[in-house]
Amino acid sequence: MALITLMVNGKQTSVDVDPATPLLWVLRDALGLMGTKYSCGEGVCGACTVHVDGEPRRSCVLTALQAVGHQITTIEGLAADGTHPLQQAWLAENVTQCGYCAPGQIMTAAALLAKNPRPTDADIDAAMTGTLCRCGTYQRIRRAIHRVAGQGGA
Amino acid sequence: MESEPQKNGVTRREFFRIAGRAGVGLVVSIYVPEWLGVESTAPNLIPRLETPWQPSIYATLDSTDVLTVKAFRSELGQGTSTALAMVFAEEMDADWSTVRIEHVGANRAYGDQMTVGSRSIERYYDPLRKAGAAARQLLVIAAAQRWSVEPGSCRTEQSAVIHPDGKQMLSYGQLVSDASQLDPAKASSAPLKDPASFKIIGTPRTLYHAPSMVRGEPLYAIDVRVPGMLYAVVARCPVFGGKVVSFDGSKASAVPGVRRIVQIDSGVAVVADNTWAALRGRAALQVTWDEGALASSSSASIREGLIKSAPSVDGADAQTFKAAYDIPYLAHAPMEPMNCTADVRRDRCEVWAPTQAAQAAKQAAQTLTRLPDDAVIVHVPIVGGGFGRRSGTDFVRDAVQVSQQVGAPVQVLWTRDDDLQHDAYHPLSYNYVESKLNDASVPTALPTNRSFTQRGGVPTGSWRSVNNFTDAYARESFLDEVAARSKLDPLALRLKLMPAQGQQVLQLVADKAGWGKPLPEGQGRGIAYWALWGTTHVAEVVQVAVAADGTVRVPRVVCAVDCGQVINPDTLAQQIEGGIIFALTAALKASITIDKGRVQQRSFADHSLINIAEAPAVEVYTIPGTGRPPTGIGEAGVPPLAPALANAVFAATGIRVRHLPIRPEDLRR
Ligand code: FES
Ligand code: FES
Repeated sequence: MALITLMVNGKQTSVDVDPATPLLWVLRDALGLMGTKYSCGEGVCGACTVHVDGEPRRSCVLTALQAVGHQITTIEGLAADGTHPLQQAWLAENVTQCGYCAPGQIMTAAALLAKNPRPTDADIDAAMTGTLCRCGTYQRIRRAIHRVAGQGGA
Repeated sequence: MESEPQKNGVTRREFFRIAGRAGVGLVVSIYVPEWLGVESTAPNLIPRLETPWQPSIYATLDSTDVLTVKAFRSELGQGTSTALAMVFAEEMDADWSTVRIEHVGANRAYGDQMTVGSRSIERYYDPLRKAGAAARQLLVIAAAQRWSVEPGSCRTEQSAVIHPDGKQMLSYGQLVSDASQLDPAKASSAPLKDPASFKIIGTPRTLYHAPSMVRGEPLYAIDVRVPGMLYAVVARCPVFGGKVVSFDGSKASAVPGVRRIVQIDSGVAVVADNTWAALRGRAALQVTWDEGALASSSSASIREGLIKSAPSVDGADAQTFKAAYDIPYLAHAPMEPMNCTADVRRDRCEVWAPTQAAQAAKQAAQTLTRLPDDAVIVHVPIVGGGFGRRSGTDFVRDAVQVSQQVGAPVQVLWTRDDDLQHDAYHPLSYNYVESKLNDASVPTALPTNRSFTQRGGVPTGSWRSVNNFTDAYARESFLDEVAARSKLDPLALRLKLMPAQGQQVLQLVADKAGWGKPLPEGQGRGIAYWALWGTTHVAEVVQVAVAADGTVRVPRVVCAVDCGQVINPDTLAQQIEGGIIFALTAALKASITIDKGRVQQRSFADHSLINIAEAPAVEVYTIPGTGRPPTGIGEAGVPPLAPALANAVFAATGIRVRHLPIRPEDLRR
């Protein structure tokens, strides 16, 4: 165990964890930030996606130690009051079914739009392919991203 | 954290939501269970002032107009809790913005609560309409008494009773104390609305929980955190039916954070201060297994056995056609893996279960703890996908047994490989179909398959649409083969054979899909129809493009549904879209195979789901159903998909594939 200082959602916070702990479990078990989801634990589903210095990263395959010194943003920190344009678009397009994948999808899409405010369908495919939704909400996810792009980006 | 006990013994915390209503002012009132454990962003400003009025077991109303509808069926993303609240609010004439939904957990007052088979709406549409109408009626009587007018001369609108003068009004909230004095029997025969006048039923509504979902709020069982809770994962025998002979926990115990190692029915649990320590502990654990009788079984040998027991497909002639279709074991793989949290004490047991079977979960906990009915509380949080998997209680028993042994609240998490390797699979089946043909080479009756399955120790269970998936795949593939043999159009053949409601959805889907219009080389359309549980009629046209290397792309799926009265059209479309994607994974990508008694797939890498780039554009059309009883939709998109896909592949390539999933190697030219 070691005291590790992380910068999560703009706040500096220290946790006493095994430095090899995946960031996912630090967020969920130590910091109580439950929006970042576990589904595969090996980087193939995207449910645990957070931003690390603005880049989408899978927190289940990133250790706490690797996260030190970087700005980490979770779904809870994407917008102070949950009104990020993508969160609103998710509601407008009625994307969610079970909603379990929503945080990872939204974080992945937010990183895409931050770089590419007008993504094509091919851009969306490339960015979002690894973020799985068993409920099959994909066409609504696509529409939600286009909706935000159409409003002038995120 | 501020909290207050509620009548049902569950401690809840005020959370906030602003429900504005002209003339009533702002209301702040919504509850989030305390166990959710998040810090509210809102101060707990407004305490509850009074016990709300409970016109029936289905809802409460408080003096601030907030209508709380009880969700008593599991919410798995199929939109049932929103839809049932819509039905109640409609008949009560409530303002939808005043509605909040509260999950009740296991409670026998609400029937069996088995959230399977697409039947929540079908079953509870009438009871909730009647309950909503009765609540409305009592409010009308209360207002009429206050005004000394005839109840029949008042009307209601948007959570208010309007005086016969058309000017005075009393909000429902203002009538709560009067209404609670009334004998509910006065409303026992309250009239139901004319469906033509529905304002909520039949209109698109965003799922009630969606705003919380997109904010990442802790809605799910996996998000449950209770004080003093420990975390566990279980080492299970890789072979079905295997048993623990012995285990050596010395290395596992040495992992920092590991607290206990305990044996339970399903294997050996490593209990730790956090999930990561539990996972590391399990990796270090050494278990000697007795692999049991299945150690040499395989899905291939199980299939061989089934073929031997089925009639032969040889010997077809001009009057008889025979074929057989293979379906492998299929996994559910919801994105939220199995998990459960239990807190077993000497005299009580509290469980947070992501279940489709709240009462089975409770029964399992009671059996294990031998506690009386009222000492066992089962909460059912929002469930991150079910698809039938969560009608079992294995994950519940895990958590209860571990908590019992360690004497602390424990969350047992199934990792993705646990989830894929210890599922209750859709059974492997070999489906034989035979049909007599008349002089026009048309089946003399609608063919049905004989489904050969053998459990042989492999755990099986309900998988979204259950045998509808299997039976539709067999019959609808078979019909296409007959059509091809008889040189009949697959649509025309079905129109001859299907009942009237089937013909309607077939015609609608064909029109919308452009059935018969030419497609480029290498592309094809396939059609299929099924009546889910005999009541929801659904037809699909799948369009495919097959590349020379056999890769199948599905650009478009069109679906027509007749499910009677639609409650929430957006939910209907979502469920059909989702069902199609779900079935497409089984039809094109993922299956479960067994070798040496072990499931060979262990992750989303080797059990890969359809992704966004592979997902077709799905269009959903409905037959107008206003006024007819609603039928289920949660599984409706699933059954026609695989046969329509196989039929489209045949149309594109001339190759008939009689098994799932259809792989590129089946189609290489
Ligand atoms: S949980 Fe991290 S990618 Fe699946
Ligand atoms: S909405 Fe259920 S997994 Fe995506």
